[in-house]
Amino acid sequence: MVIDCHAHLEHHSKPTWAEDDRKLIEAADKLGIDQLCCSILTPQRPSNPESFRECNQWVAEARERFPGRVPAYCYVNPGYPREALDEIRRCVEERGFVGVKLYNEYRCNEPVVFPVVELAIELRVPILQHAGHAHYFVKEQPRLSDAGMVAELARRYPEAALICAHVCGGGDWEWTIKALRGAPNVYLDTSGSVTDEGVIEAAVRTLGAERLVFGCDMSMTASMGRIRSADIPTQMKDLILGENLRRLLHRGEKHGD
Amino acid sequence: MVIDVNAYLGEFAFRRLHHNTADGLLRLMDRHGIDKACVSSANAITYRNCQPANKDLAEATRGHRGRLIPFAVVNPTYADWQHDLRMCHDDFGMVGIRMYPGWHGYAPRDGCARELAQAATELGMIVSIPIRVEDPRERHWLVDVPDVSLDAVADLMRACPNARFMILEGIGFPNSPLGQAGGEWPCEYLIEISRLSALLKAEMRQLIEAVGAQRLAFGSGMPFKYPAPALLKLEVLDASDEQKDAIRWRNAEQMLESRGAR
Repeated sequence: MVIDCHAHLEHHSKPTWAEDDRKLIEAADKLGIDQLCCSILTPQRPSNPESFRECNQWVAEARERFPGRVPAYCYVNPGYPREALDEIRRCVEERGFVGVKLYNEYRCNEPVVFPVVELAIELRVPILQHAGHAHYFVKEQPRLSDAGMVAELARRYPEAALICAHVCGGGDWEWTIKALRGAPNVYLDTSGSVTDEGVIEAAVRTLGAERLVFGCDMSMTASMGRIRSADIPTQMKDLILGENLRRLLHRGEKHGD
Repeated sequence: MVIDVNAYLGEFAFRRLHHNTADGLLRLMDRHGIDKACVSSANAITYRNCQPANKDLAEATRGHRGRLIPFAVVNPTYADWQHDLRMCHDDFGMVGIRMYPGWHGYAPRDGCARELAQAATELGMIVSIPIRVEDPRERHWLVDVPDVSLDAVADLMRACPNARFMILEGIGFPNSPLGQAGGEWPCEYLIEISRLSALLKAEMRQLIEAVGAQRLAFGSGMPFKYPAPALLKLEVLDASDEQKDAIRWRNAEQMLESRGAR
């Protein structure tokens, strides 16, 4: 089974959202991707409880439109602690969402994020953390997390399952891979538009194939193509393309899609 | 048959490359079913004086010219570039050039860019322009080289009506004059596909409808980049077999074989 750990459905303020969502499923069909773990983000951030609840409601509805294809992440802004925790619990326990999506409202090692991690541990769901590391200040994302911060959070919560998003999303992927070496409870999402040769092999050498999870983040051919090109054994590709994430999502065996 | 119009040999200043010798690249090409590749020197991108890197490329590709097609890197702001260009053509047998305006300190609209493109054209050489070398978000702390503007490249192309251009590593063509229907272009040009989307936004399909499949050419960016993503774009592209063959090799071969006709 091939599972994309990082996908997005369209926000409904976009007039073509329904058609775009359908195109995403068609793209997955063409590339042999069985499931896409999806969230919807608000167009403007920081999000507020009303806007992130709306996004999660739309993802829940998409699961009805595309049965079995779009396991869902619950997106929240940890800056609204009570509302965020209520929303995560509701989405996981009542709706069967499979994880939590955190974006860039806060750096992931800020204390405001800790209650979200503690709840994710209790519910036995992973957190997909938006991340990237550039050698300059990313002014559009002043609270962008990087792999070093994800590793720090992982050391604070060794029982948490964290996914460091899009190693191929444009930052220095060699830095990212090295920063995660000592954080065994962090998985690395392979998604992104950058197709630099060697990234998958380097991640396998440093972290092990068991810690990589295939993702696209909407860069479909780039993401599937880099796995195809990678000079690693087929068994490792199978782990990366789906088996690792399948095991991660079924740790608790009480949720699923 | 697959012809890759966007490949390299050599070392890059800011990241260790693999498969970057002639033998190594040929093995990578064999593994991915790529028959021929237009190659230039990765070293030349950051050398002040590009010419030693062109000489190294000429030597590295000697004996492999049936598969590795050498392109010169020429900086039109550097002393005596005209001599270097002629040497690359006459002595090294290079069939095209690559221009790196951002890395070499000039703009496509500058007079020196036009002079270089015209001089190369007079020698029957193809003019290729990589819009980027690597994603700007992963840039080294010492450098900040923005992508080359497609509009500026379009202006250079208008100023060189007899030239033949390959635009490499570009994206966003539907919003550029180069990707819009009805444009009257005096020069020949090909758009390399490695960063174009085949699915979702489907930029490749949009370009086929607007300017025709005859404007597209396969390229991967290897060994900077994995070859499979670009190959996969062709695999899933919503296009006829004839259109895919044109992109896969025919358009590139036609441009490469027409060299010297001017």
